[in-house]
Amino acid sequence: MSMNRIVLLMLAIFLVEGSLIPWLIPDSYGDRIIPHFTFVIVIFSALYGSRHQALFLGMGFGLLQDVIYYGHMIGPHFFFMGLIGYLVGVVLERKKTTLLLAISVVGFACLAYDSALYFVYSVFKFTNGSYPWALIQYILPSLFLQLVFTLCIYVPVRKMFEKRMRSAESSEEL
Amino acid sequence: MFNFLKNKRLFMLMVGFLVLIVLIGLTIGGREKITWPERFLKDTVGFVQQLIYRPAGAIAGFFQDISQLNEVYKENEQFRMMAAAYARDKVEYNFLKSENERLMKELEFKIHQEQMYDYKYMIAQVISVNNDANNRTININLGSKHGVEKNMAVVTSDGLVGIVNSVSAFYASVTPYTELSTTSTTFNAISATVMGKETESFGILSDYDTEQERLIMSKIGEEDPMVQGDIVITSGLGNIYPRGLRIGEIESLKVGDFGLTYVAEIKPFANLNKLTEVFVVAAPSYDEEEETTP
Repeated sequence: MSMNRIVLLMLAIFLVEGSLIPWLIPDSYGDRIIPHFTFVIVIFSALYGSRHQALFLGMGFGLLQDVIYYGHMIGPHFFFMGLIGYLVGVVLERKKTTLLLAISVVGFACLAYDSALYFVYSVFKFTNGSYPWALIQYILPSLFLQLVFTLCIYVPVRKMFEKRMRSAESSEEL
Repeated sequence: MFNFLKNKRLFMLMVGFLVLIVLIGLTIGGREKITWPERFLKDTVGFVQQLIYRPAGAIAGFFQDISQLNEVYKENEQFRMMAAAYARDKVEYNFLKSENERLMKELEFKIHQEQMYDYKYMIAQVISVNNDANNRTININLGSKHGVEKNMAVVTSDGLVGIVNSVSAFYASVTPYTELSTTSTTFNAISATVMGKETESFGILSDYDTEQERLIMSKIGEEDPMVQGDIVITSGLGNIYPRGLRIGEIESLKVGDFGLTYVAEIKPFANLNKLTEVFVVAAPSYDEEEETTP
């Protein structure tokens, strides 16, 4: 039951980050601050849910993004959202994760995600900027947006995932 | 530490990587049509996003209007001057148009030749923008049901925005000019010329320099009369993109890599941030039958 709610929430965030968030970002930063909110939720599900949950959520919403905004190719978001979510889950799943740790993990995960996407696009020559330039131009500025978003949603989303995990465990015991 | 790379996990990673490569291989470059699950997803998601993007844009636009209120007078004056110039040009244009039509009749142009440049501008609302820095796809709320097809040009009142990349029943994805690249298979190069020297100038818009945020026009002839500050428009040669769409202004002109041709940097007119309304430019279609029975 709760899983439905998680997916619904992520769907809402996915819709909003493509249509509402661009309006909230100042004009001159329009192509520099780029929201990756669904990805942040995937990391949350890895930290406070399970790694498999993160893998499937990441793959699902990555694929959704690839399809909806089909431009060059389908695959990068699908693969890296799932993979990074899973790796975070492998390392930190069910450890006691504090706010500070969660924020730093989200930060590093976003860096890894953006860098991985950059390298995929540069392997296929869809981008001609250098990596240091990309880092300064959009990876670091958007990192701040992701961290602020993490701070805002930390408490409710953590509760949501932990509740879901508890109910899953108790149903297993029964 | 090494149970991190347990056999099963490593194996799954390999399989995942293979799937990634296969997916990319299948979908990279110009696919003529997208499959029906993709079209279905695009239509459903597009419907909801449309409900969010437009009101948000309206509210944001309202506040922007308030903050720019004192510029209105200046703008108004400019518009008046433009309207006067337009009225003057319109008279001349009507003369030239009727003259042109008469000549076409006399020279026995075929129907499709006569209507070749009767472009239809379809207004579309932007519904969402991709949150991926290297692929800023824009979705609009016109689709194949409204007559939008792949490779149609999309413009704003300022200038060229991009090319329609994939179409579902009610929505379409636009690849913006920032994705223009000689190595990309999704975006063909655009043949261009400059305003006022349409017959003498020629260049090919082939690349976008992401670091400088400038379009690169290459293959400009040595004797070409274009200079810095000229306005670049599409030339319509090649018959894929319509002619006469404004693109940008030449910012610098220098000798190209091999010293035989010139390369120009162009500052595009259209700002891709916070787009609301765009126009899809549809070239008239004609049947083969019409051609044989004039």
